[in-house]
Amino acid sequence: MTFLELRHLRKTYPGVLANDDISLRVEAGEIHGLVGENGAGKSTLMKLLYGMEQPDAGEIRLNGNRVSIANPQDAIRLGIGMVHQHFQLVPSLTVAENIALGAEPHYGLFINRYRLRRQVQALSEQFGLQVDPNALVSDLPVGLQQRVEILKMLYRNARLLILDEPSAVLTPQEVESLFGVLRRLVAGGCTAIFITHKLYEIMALCTRATVLRRGRVVGTVQTADTTPAEIARLMVGHEVEAPVITEAPADGGRRPRLEVRNLQITAASRRATQIDLTVFGGEILGIAGVEGNGQQELVEALIGVADGVSGEVLLDGESIIPMSTRTRRERGLALIPEDRQTEGLSKTMAIWENLSAGDYYRQAQGLGVLPLGQMRATAADLLSRFDIRAADERVDVGTLSGGNAQKVVIARELMRDPAVLVAVQPTRGLDIGAAGFVHEQLLRLRGAGVGVLLISADLDELLALSDRIAVLFNGRIVAQFPRAAATREQIGLAMAGKTVDENIL
Amino acid sequence: MKHFAPTIRTVLTILLALLVGGIIMQLSGKDALNAYGVLLNSAFGNPRAIANTLLTATPLIFTGLATLIAFRAGIFNVGVEGSLYVGAFAAAWVGFTFTGLPALPLIVLCFSAGALVGGLWGLIPGYLKARLRVDEIVTTIMLNYVAILFTDYLVTGPFFVPGMSNAMSAQVAEQAQLPRLVERAQLNASFILALVAVIVVAWLLRRTTLGYEVKTIGSNPLFARWMGMPVARTILLVMFISGLLGGLAGAGQVLGVHYRFVSGFSRGLGFDGIVVALLGRNSPLGALLAALFLGALRNGSSTMEMFTQIPRDLIDIVIALVIFFVAVEISFGWLKRRTKASASTEAEQKGQADGLA
Repeated sequence: MTFLELRHLRKTYPGVLANDDISLRVEAGEIHGLVGENGAGKSTLMKLLYGMEQPDAGEIRLNGNRVSIANPQDAIRLGIGMVHQHFQLVPSLTVAENIALGAEPHYGLFINRYRLRRQVQALSEQFGLQVDPNALVSDLPVGLQQRVEILKMLYRNARLLILDEPSAVLTPQEVESLFGVLRRLVAGGCTAIFITHKLYEIMALCTRATVLRRGRVVGTVQTADTTPAEIARLMVGHEVEAPVITEAPADGGRRPRLEVRNLQITAASRRATQIDLTVFGGEILGIAGVEGNGQQELVEALIGVADGVSGEVLLDGESIIPMSTRTRRERGLALIPEDRQTEGLSKTMAIWENLSAGDYYRQAQGLGVLPLGQMRATAADLLSRFDIRAADERVDVGTLSGGNAQKVVIARELMRDPAVLVAVQPTRGLDIGAAGFVHEQLLRLRGAGVGVLLISADLDELLALSDRIAVLFNGRIVAQFPRAAATREQIGLAMAGKTVDENIL
Repeated sequence: MKHFAPTIRTVLTILLALLVGGIIMQLSGKDALNAYGVLLNSAFGNPRAIANTLLTATPLIFTGLATLIAFRAGIFNVGVEGSLYVGAFAAAWVGFTFTGLPALPLIVLCFSAGALVGGLWGLIPGYLKARLRVDEIVTTIMLNYVAILFTDYLVTGPFFVPGMSNAMSAQVAEQAQLPRLVERAQLNASFILALVAVIVVAWLLRRTTLGYEVKTIGSNPLFARWMGMPVARTILLVMFISGLLGGLAGAGQVLGVHYRFVSGFSRGLGFDGIVVALLGRNSPLGALLAALFLGALRNGSSTMEMFTQIPRDLIDIVIALVIFFVAVEISFGWLKRRTKASASTEAEQKGQADGLA
């Protein structure tokens, strides 16, 4: 039986056709995958379903009846619930309070806490979602917070659950447990739409999946009859090749280029970290870990913008801790920061200005006068060398797509041959094509003897690119694996802070 | 066309303010058209009127530049008024102390002293912000009081001139008094210095490493820091220049208008710099035009008061309305950009998918 049917949905934003003639059916009791690259129209489609945006044309049918969803309240009334990628929880309230927020059982003017707890208890037992209703949300690990989000929907009697990239913040084990929960929920009569760009999740969880590309449905596949490569081809529109890793070059290797010894960051409000690691020339050292386990602290300490740093960081044998950020960069430290919009670029400045940010001061002539024409020419040259798609170098960086903006960062960081590149989530938010470009660049640097430190929450990326993988948990490196020996399970355990006991293995 | 859109919007904003101001005049029983006519005539009607408009605009040009260069760097410097006072006193002190010097060296020395002292005054909140991360709005506001009251103390105490009814210093040497540019008007050489300042600041912001750093720090300080820019040094430098321009404004008033330091003479010229910078959209040329506009209103209104029944307070209302509408217009533009930005995230992603195919 068809539970949800979308017919010819269309949504345009000024100048952009975000959704074009989208039709799809979700059967009752199904986990329906929705895949597509960034910008394929997944988010827009979900906004239409959840009443955050109105379609320009087309209709939405629930149980065969045409419905109009003017706002999220309507959607909730119709039994549609959404788990956003960024949780919408109040950290200082308890689990039960969060679940019922805005719909609490009342006792006159007061909230009936006793009944609230009982309701939440009953709900979590009914669906097998164990969580302590009295715990503060801020005390819960991310996986359990997500459980609270799901319970929030169930509390409002949602029958259709929409999950937007739910696995992005979870360890592999937490993803497994999420899958278990979703399977139990659909067995109990719910229907789910699972949005992701990770193909193996689609294969493991969904019976059917709809692929979007450039705002249109390019196909709905039965996962049993297809392969991940086939889905990837549908998403991108052409064959996708996995990055090819060659063995590390024999000569350039094994020279330590970046040595981090007992690096501690003790500033208030930062996660206490104590990190030891070495990156050799011609290798990519991957740092795995759930976000917020010290990655940002490590990066800030390396580039020199953090307070309260102690320990030793050697770049080609030279201690850089006493150096300013500028001197560190001059010695060959390059950085692709996690948040390119704030740390890596200035959106309201032109491309050429962003490209000059690392070396403008070296070009200054008498009285600090900048050779603007020459700087623009250099930028125009980089534009073509790195295939940055923009009208010209005077365009504001803020108008570029994510992939092109990231290319501006990469062009700037790589134009003077670095000794060490620190890349933090360098492909986040990029489409497959742009991500492939970033991966190529990392491998090219590795081939050139540069030490690459790749910090990523995406295990697939790390497994595909790294020569070694170290796991960061709670501010410390808790495990290191050579690529050949690294498995998803072992890394996942380490990411969750469980020490891999050599004796048992 | 796109390039001129902000200018057009600013002009429309001003017209709207004049319209609402006119309605208020009509409501209070005055003939608004007549008032504006007299105002226009008093501001531009004859060479002397024009000279007086330029004279009124002169300190506003300096304080506007002082404010906008700080704004550009993301520093909300409200302390130009303070720099103006200490700079004015320094210039006056040199002017009535080194009376033996010939004209040109003495004038240069007076302006240099005003600029230096004003700049150093700006360095105090600059240092607090750059090194200790103390909010500059609070410190600059407070330091204004210090500057105003300290200079008042100087002319009522150590530099008290017996026989003067008001708190004012001795007169500067005659050769230090700036030459006038027009017969029977006070317009003087400091106006030319103000024009030079406009060009220098524009050049500084557009062409130099400092200008580049100011722009980067103003648009994204975090990025500037991560790129290794000398953020603290730039803040110090900008605050010095901002104070320096404030000091020049004060020195110009002393040497060109009052010929002495008069306690409390400014009555907010430094704060008017904020209006000038906002109205001029943080551009040096814009600030020049804004200062001329404000100068015309101020000069016109005082003459208007003499010849009509309309109190100049009504023109103050018009000026307040201009500020109000400019503020609304700026926030409105900001709001529009935000809505556009949220729509363009989708556009951007779409374009990205396009780029692939």
